[in-house]
Amino acid sequence: MKDRLVRLIARVPAGVHAKLLAAFLMIAVLLIILGAVGLQALIEVNRHAEELVKLQRKIAAYRQLQHDTTGQLYTVTSALLVPDERTLEATLRQLNQFGYDLDRLQFVSRDELELFGRARADYERFIEVVTRVVELLRTGRVADGRELQLTQAGPLADRLERLTNELVNKAEADMVTSVESAHAAYVTSRWIVVGFAIGSIGLALVLGYAISWSLIGPVEQMNARLARIAAGEFAGRVEVPNRDELGTLAANLNHMSEELGRLYQQLETASRHKSQFLANMSHELRTPLNAILGYAELVQDGVYGEVPEKIRDILARVQASGRHLLGLINDVLDLSRIEAGQLTLTLADYSLREIVHAVFTATEPLATEKALMLTVALPPTLPPGRGDERRLMQVLLNLVGNAIKFTEAGEVRIDAAARDGRFEVAVTDTGPGIPPAEQQRIFEEFHQADSSSTKSKGGAGLGLAIARRIVELHGGRIGVESRLGEGSTFSVTIPIRAECVLEAP
Amino acid sequence: MRHRILLVEDHEDNRRIIRDLLANAGYELIEAVTGEDGVQLAETQQPDLILMDIQLPGIDGYEVTRRLRRNRALAGTPIIAVTSYALSGDDAKALAAGCDAYIAKPFSPRVLLAKVREYLPPS
Repeated sequence: MKDRLVRLIARVPAGVHAKLLAAFLMIAVLLIILGAVGLQALIEVNRHAEELVKLQRKIAAYRQLQHDTTGQLYTVTSALLVPDERTLEATLRQLNQFGYDLDRLQFVSRDELELFGRARADYERFIEVVTRVVELLRTGRVADGRELQLTQAGPLADRLERLTNELVNKAEADMVTSVESAHAAYVTSRWIVVGFAIGSIGLALVLGYAISWSLIGPVEQMNARLARIAAGEFAGRVEVPNRDELGTLAANLNHMSEELGRLYQQLETASRHKSQFLANMSHELRTPLNAILGYAELVQDGVYGEVPEKIRDILARVQASGRHLLGLINDVLDLSRIEAGQLTLTLADYSLREIVHAVFTATEPLATEKALMLTVALPPTLPPGRGDERRLMQVLLNLVGNAIKFTEAGEVRIDAAARDGRFEVAVTDTGPGIPPAEQQRIFEEFHQADSSSTKSKGGAGLGLAIARRIVELHGGRIGVESRLGEGSTFSVTIPIRAECVLEAP
Repeated sequence: MRHRILLVEDHEDNRRIIRDLLANAGYELIEAVTGEDGVQLAETQQPDLILMDIQLPGIDGYEVTRRLRRNRALAGTPIIAVTSYALSGDDAKALAAGCDAYIAKPFSPRVLLAKVREYLPPS
């Protein structure tokens, strides 16, 4: 149910801004309605209060009327007993006062018009009678006055009293009714106000929930999708029901993901093609180069006849350059095959001692040529290793070759030992050393420490990169420690028994 | 009597180099460009040693070696495989197919000659 509401809000084809504005407007309208209803209730309560006050005044007026009627009778009776001018004046004055009260009542009471009309008629007759009584008294006809008083004024006064009593009772009954209806109105308006308040709060909460989740949900989904994209998973889409900015964002995200996936695939294909191309090309390059080297060697060996010393020397240089070129091509081939995932190790038992000796034999002439000491330090016994002998020899040849190449004076030492199930081989030189910043980068492809000074040394800068890959394929590590001006130590650590061939990273 | 060597090699320059090298060293050379020719020549000419390139058009050096080994007359003839550097594991496969030894390309003529002399010492 809640989710359906969230989806419903999400599907509304309006912007986030418009949705928020609409929600706030709805809440504001509810608050305004709540205020209006409250005001209405207040007005109602006030009206009831005013009515009560009116009723109270009416009751007071009726009581006054009653009182006046009684007072009238009393004064008239007194005038009959002591018929002097002052008493008569007072009687007439009181009559006027009585009339005034009645006039006033006319504005107060509207409901009891019939009853009031009768009271008014009775009063007028009463005034008439009393006025005649006073006139009679003034003319000295006291007996006639008393007669009139007894026969007419008395009963009229009684009737007036009854009428006013009736009015008071009616007004009091009205008041009770009014109090009750005021209370009922209060209770009703209280429920209306409370109801509207609860309704507003509820609506605000529901709208807040629905709108915020219609925003947060897609954001969370897209965030999760982005995390998967960052992890390299381009397949899959994020589906949000939103038809607002977030919907557009999700659509763009999906589009981006697809594009990235496509680009990634293209890149992968391109990279594979490149590696394949490099592998093919370097293989193709090697064939004619092999022919060149072969012919040169045959010529040098006198297969095609006697060769003058000068030409023999030139041929030696042709061969040296050719071998150098062959080395470069082999490096490129190795690396491209590693990148194409085609380089696998041929695991077999090997003797580390034999590898070290073979490397020593191969590199000693180079060291001697530069008047460097090349020494080997091996423990008396070494366990048989398992790995790709040819590749491991390639690694060690590269390290020792580099050491000799970059060292101008001093020595190059090869140390090997077996420790904790691993072979540790170190090649130490007294060369120029490698700056700390370069020490990691030299294991990257096409990188040479300080290219300006090493350019003359030749090499494509691939040897260490290949060595690293080979060592890593064996499940080992290669590293360097070096201090500028003091020399470098390259160390290789590999499991003595590399049983499983690891994937190249 | 001069030793007779069969060379199975599709590449023109490689054939020329080996021909010149071995002729200069006093061997008699017969040449085949394809594996099928190699099998046929081996059977008809009965060479003393066979130099077998592995990467050949048609049937490859392994298959040629296996076929020759099935021929009783050729079962004992030394076969030296010329394996490619580019394909690791060739050497092991060559030995498994029945070769006696292998030389990895790129080969130096001197090394090749030394290997041949191991099996056919100069008379």
